[in-house]
This record gives sequence, structure tokens and C-alpha cells, in this order.
Amino acid sequence: MSAFLSLLHRELRRIFHDEGLLIFLLLVPLGYPLLYAFIYTNEVVREVPAVAVDMSESSVGREYLRKVDATPDVRIVGRMANMDEAKRMMQKGEVYGIVYLPSDFSVRLHTGRQAHVSLFCDMSGLLYYKALLMACTDVSLQMNKELQTEGLVGLTDRQIAVSTEPVRYEGIALYNPQIGFASFLIPAVLVLIVQQTILLGAGLTVGTDKDRRLPLSVIFSRAVLVARGVAYFLVAMATSAWILVAVPHLFDLPQLADAVTLLLFMLPYIGACILWALCLACWVPDRESVMLMFVFTSVPLLFLSGISWPGASVPPFWKAISYLFPSTLGINGFVRINTMGATLREVSVEWIGLWGQAFGYFLLLLGICKYISVRSGK
Amino acid sequence: MICPMLFVRLCRIAGRECLRMVLMPRYLFGMVLPPLVCYALFTTLMDAGLPTRLPAGVVDLDNSFTSRQIVRNLDAFQHTDIVAHYPSVAEADEAMRRGDIYAFYYLPQRMEEEILSGRQPMVSFYLNYAYLVAGSLLYKDMRTLSELADASVVQAGLYARGAEVWQVRPLLQPIVVEAHPIHNSWLNYSVYLNNVLLPGVLSLVVLLVTVYSLGMEVKGRSGHRLLCLAKGNVGVALLGKLLPQTGVFVGLALIGNVWLYGVLHFPLYSGPLPMIVASVLLVLASQGLGVFLFTLVPWMRMAMSIASLWGVVSFSISGFTFPAMAMNPALQALNNLFPLRHYFLIYTNEALNGNPTMCIWTAYVALLCFALLPLPFVGRLKRMLLSHQYME
Repeated sequence: MSAFLSLLHRELRRIFHDEGLLIFLLLVPLGYPLLYAFIYTNEVVREVPAVAVDMSESSVGREYLRKVDATPDVRIVGRMANMDEAKRMMQKGEVYGIVYLPSDFSVRLHTGRQAHVSLFCDMSGLLYYKALLMACTDVSLQMNKELQTEGLVGLTDRQIAVSTEPVRYEGIALYNPQIGFASFLIPAVLVLIVQQTILLGAGLTVGTDKDRRLPLSVIFSRAVLVARGVAYFLVAMATSAWILVAVPHLFDLPQLADAVTLLLFMLPYIGACILWALCLACWVPDRESVMLMFVFTSVPLLFLSGISWPGASVPPFWKAISYLFPSTLGINGFVRINTMGATLREVSVEWIGLWGQAFGYFLLLLGICKYISVRSGK
Repeated sequence: MICPMLFVRLCRIAGRECLRMVLMPRYLFGMVLPPLVCYALFTTLMDAGLPTRLPAGVVDLDNSFTSRQIVRNLDAFQHTDIVAHYPSVAEADEAMRRGDIYAFYYLPQRMEEEILSGRQPMVSFYLNYAYLVAGSLLYKDMRTLSELADASVVQAGLYARGAEVWQVRPLLQPIVVEAHPIHNSWLNYSVYLNNVLLPGVLSLVVLLVTVYSLGMEVKGRSGHRLLCLAKGNVGVALLGKLLPQTGVFVGLALIGNVWLYGVLHFPLYSGPLPMIVASVLLVLASQGLGVFLFTLVPWMRMAMSIASLWGVVSFSISGFTFPAMAMNPALQALNNLFPLRHYFLIYTNEALNGNPTMCIWTAYVALLCFALLPLPFVGRLKRMLLSHQYME
């Protein structure tokens, strides 16, 4: 026991004395989430600049444009006489959309024919398109209701309401009421940071030992790995409290997590991350290659997790691959616990999966230790 | 006389670099595998273009002819796949928290009856925006359906009052919005993301490999030998060392371009030349930034950490997912310091929109500046290569 404690003490000392480890295991987990949350903190795109080309020059056309301009999503920055001028503005990147009202817009409306509004969108960002389309659609639906009632004479308000809107509807945004980007992406990024910093830390340690030409049987001795695992676990639990509890709170992200549920969920997640990282770390040849090998994986792992590209649409092959990484289960579990207030029973699939991963990687690590001790014993 | 000698030295150093790559497989693997894996992963992952048939649920308390018809219609929509019926909102909500469905549609009791008697029943749909993309796509389907359901009742009423067929559509929907998403007409996510994601991964790898390869000279105490081969000319040493890497990376960039524009036929309204130039410039800019970071931070691992940070933050700050215009003004200024931002601006101007190159010449110049960034620091680089001061 005292041998274990002294090893544990050595591993903890190492974390706080090796500046590389200090950066990966403490500085990055503490600082990086703040940077990310800051980038996405505005949540939504407001006042997307657009230009209007009103060929109809009618009062109803002007009303339409005024109403689009009045929506929070779109700002009409100018009115152009023709499409060529509007296109030039779009080329210069001054506007992201063109709202075009044809010359017969008002005539058609007043002669009982359908009038068309054309909306041209720059597709460099889907959020521009979404904002422009929503604004124009909302305004046209609202004006449609008014136009329909104009034609109905001699009816009471109630009759008008019933005949124009026999079924009312409402869409309710759950768990991310402002439909924001940060509330959706940041929780996933936070969970990924926990895993990636552990991976980099574990890899760096092994790489350093190899640089120091320590014998493999020492680097991968079971006692050292156990002590390292426990040391990382203690540090990661502390940093996770910051990453997964304090950061969402600081940036007003949705936070419905039950403390006990979250704690119970983080146990297998951090455990699986550490065992997975200790396995992968065996392949790190030297101190610096750890970044060469592992940093890029953050991007594919985020996409494989099924947060931005919905998990239901991930092709089966990649779905299977994604279950090799703790982050996939961890992200989905955490998002549901934190953002949606799920109970442990509701994330049981992920929870059990993480225990399974932890067990699997534990066996793999034992196998690696065995292999190395047999080989170096020869 | 000088030029051929320089060239010979350059070739010798380049040959030495090629040999190092082959002898240190991690080096070559670190260069080639990550971009290729990501090319394959991202394009096959998003092969469908738009997620379709997302699982959704229904809470049909009415269970009438009308409500069943609405559910059938919803199931026929592009993004919606009705996978389950739930007896109550609470149970549907729980299914959502379990991750079984991304949204559900709620039809209240006695809906049909209330429609017929003109009491304006309220249908609702609940969307899980914790999964923003899935939630938004399902919202689109469910809102359209609700509009249609509304319209079909109004339409029946209009016919009953003697309206002609040609009169009905304008009465239902006097103003129609026709959206024209320019050059990505069916909102293909793969087009939207992969055009920048793939070069972004490449740029990250270039940054890391550049710092790594220079650092290994210091760490392995071979900087002296490198400079000897260049007869003390640090420019030749640097060029000779980086050119073989440039070759590999440009090769990878071209594979990326051929894959995206040649095989997958992503929009390329500028013709291939501007995008090839932009990719080559992105590689050079990342190499320049890498050398700059290496000279700035004489501490290999620290320089690599900063390179990692730069490369990874590029994906967010360059504004191809979340627009730069919605970020803090400070970040909008800072994003100029990331080569990927300029590449993104070139891509949207050239390949996506097919605008004249003159509209975006500043971005080309910016990338060029990144490539030339190490020039003022070559003296410092020489001292570093000779110092052999490796810090853990």
C-alpha cells in the first residue's frame, strides 16, 4: 500500500512539475473551454445584412420589406434599382441576401393571383440562409393572413379567425430555448476536451519516459500504470468539475443536470477515457509526437459523436467505429444529462457502454503490459 | 557559379530530409495519414448531403381520420421518420431524453371535432434543439405540415362556398417566398462543411509537422550538420528542409481538391485554378506560420502546443460554421491571424460563388504574408539550430 502511495505521489508530483503535463492536464482544461464559449457566446446570428430590389414600387411591396427589416434576424441595408447592383453588393460581401420583388408583385396580389418574392442567399454560411428564409417566410405568412381577411366582408372577427386559421399550431423549442449555437455545441466540446487532455497527458508521459530511455518494462509496469491512472482520475475529476459544471454556468448555457446523476455518469466516462488513453499512449514514440499523433483527432471525434451531424444519420460503419471512443457515449450522455435533465435511467445505454469500454480497455492494457513484460523478459 | 552550387546544396538537404521521413515512419505517417483519414471520414460521413429520415414520435390523442392522415403525411416528409406513437406527452418527452427521437408532434383530444365546429384546436410540435441540426430540420417539416393542414381545411371551406380551383391557391397563399440558395440549392451539408474542414485538417497537420521537424533537428543535435550542408546559409537549409514536406502536403492538397471537385462534383464556379492556388498558398502559409512559431518560442513542445491551439481554433474562429459576424468584434479582428480564415474567404468567393478573383485579392495576399512570415527571423533560426538547446 505504501509502495502504491509513493508511486501515486510521484505521478501527482510529475503532473505539477512537468510543464508539458501541467499545460495538458490543467491549463488547457481550465482555459480552453473559456475560449470556446467566448467564440460562440452570442448563440445566434442577428441582423443578417440583405439588400432589397423592389421592382413593384408599390405600397404593399414596401410594407413587405419594412416588415422583413423589422425582424430581429434580418437588416435591409439598402434598396437597389436592379439585380446587377444588388449582385455587386453581394460579391463584395456587404450583404448575404437579396430580396427581390417582381414588377407585378402588387398587381398580382390585387387581381387575385399569387405573388412571388424571390430570395437569393449567399451559401457561405447556413445560418445566414436560415435567418433570411425564416424572416421572409414569417412575414409572408403574417401578411397572407391579413390579405385573406381583407377579402372577407361582413364577417365577425371570430368568423375571420376560424376561416383563415382553422387549426392553430405552435412549435416548442425544448432544451435550447433560444435555438442557440453555443447551447448546442459547447457541451459536446467540453466533454471532448476532458478526453483529449487526458489522452495528450498520458501520451506525453510515455513519450518522455521513452526519451529518457527508461526500459519498457519500467514504463509499462502495472504498478506505475495503476498509480498513474489514479492520479489522472483525481486531477480529471477536479478539472471536470470546472469544465462541465462551472463553465456552462459562467456562460449561461442550459444546465439541468442533477448533481448525483452527473457524478455517477462521470465516473465511468473519466475511467474509460483514462484506460483508453493509457492504451493509446503505448504507441507514442517520443515526447513531442504526441501532438502530431493525437491533436487532429478532436475534429473527427466531434463529428462522429452525432451532435452536429445527427447520430441517426451516421453511416453504420462510422457508427461502429465511433463506439470505440469514450467521447461518443460521453458526449451524448452528458448532453442529455446536462442540457435535457435526463436521469441515469434515461442514459443507461451510454452509462453501461462506458463501463463496458472501461472494462475492455482495462483488459487491453493488461494484455499490453503482459506482452511487454514477456518480450523484455526474453 | 553560385547558383548551381546553391542548387546542389538545396538538393542534398532535400535528399537528407526525404531520408529522414523514410527512416522515421511516425513522421511520414503523421503527415499523410491524418489528412487522408479525415478526407475519407468526413466525405463519407456526410455523403447523404442532408440528414434524412430523422426519428420522430407522435402523440395522437385524437385518433381520428384527420389526425391519422396528418401523421401519415408527416411520415412522408423528407427529414421525418415516425418511429413511435406515445400515449402521452410525458412519455414522448422521456423518449426524447433517452435519445430515441429528436422531436414529436402532438395532436390534442377532439381535434377533428373542434375543427369541424370552428373552435380552432391547437396542435403543437416539440423539438429537441440540444441537437440543433436535427431539431431545425424537423422543425421545417413539422411547420410546413401544420401550414398545409391548416390550408387543407381552409381549402375545403372555400370549395364549399363555391370558389373555383384557380381561385383557391391565391386565396390560401397570396404571397409565396421562393428561396434560391445560390450554388448549393439543396443545402448540402457536405458542401457547406467539407470544403473548409478538409483543408483545415491539412493546415493543422502542416503546422504541427513543420514545428516538429525543425524541433527534431534541435532535439537530435543535428542542426549543426544541417547548416554545414547548407554552408552556413540558413535560407538554403530551411528551404531544403521544408521543400520535400511542401511536396507531400501540396500532393495531399491536390488529392483533396480532386476528391472534392473532381470526384464528388462539389460546386466549382471559378474553375480549378483559383482553388489549386489557394490550397498551395494555404500549405505555404501554414508552413510559414509553423516556422514563425518555432522561432518565436524556442521550446519545441511549447511551440507545438501553440501550433495545436492555432490549428484547432481555426475551425471555429474562421467562421464557416458559426458566422464571424455574430462573434465578438475582438474575435472578428483576431480571425485575420488564422490562415484558414483567408482560405475560407477565397473558397466562398471563388469556388462557391464564382466571383471575380479581384473581389478577394486581399485574402491571397494575406496567405502570402503568412508564407513569408519567417523571413525577418532567419538569423534567430540559425542561432537556434546551432544552440542545441532542447527543453523538455
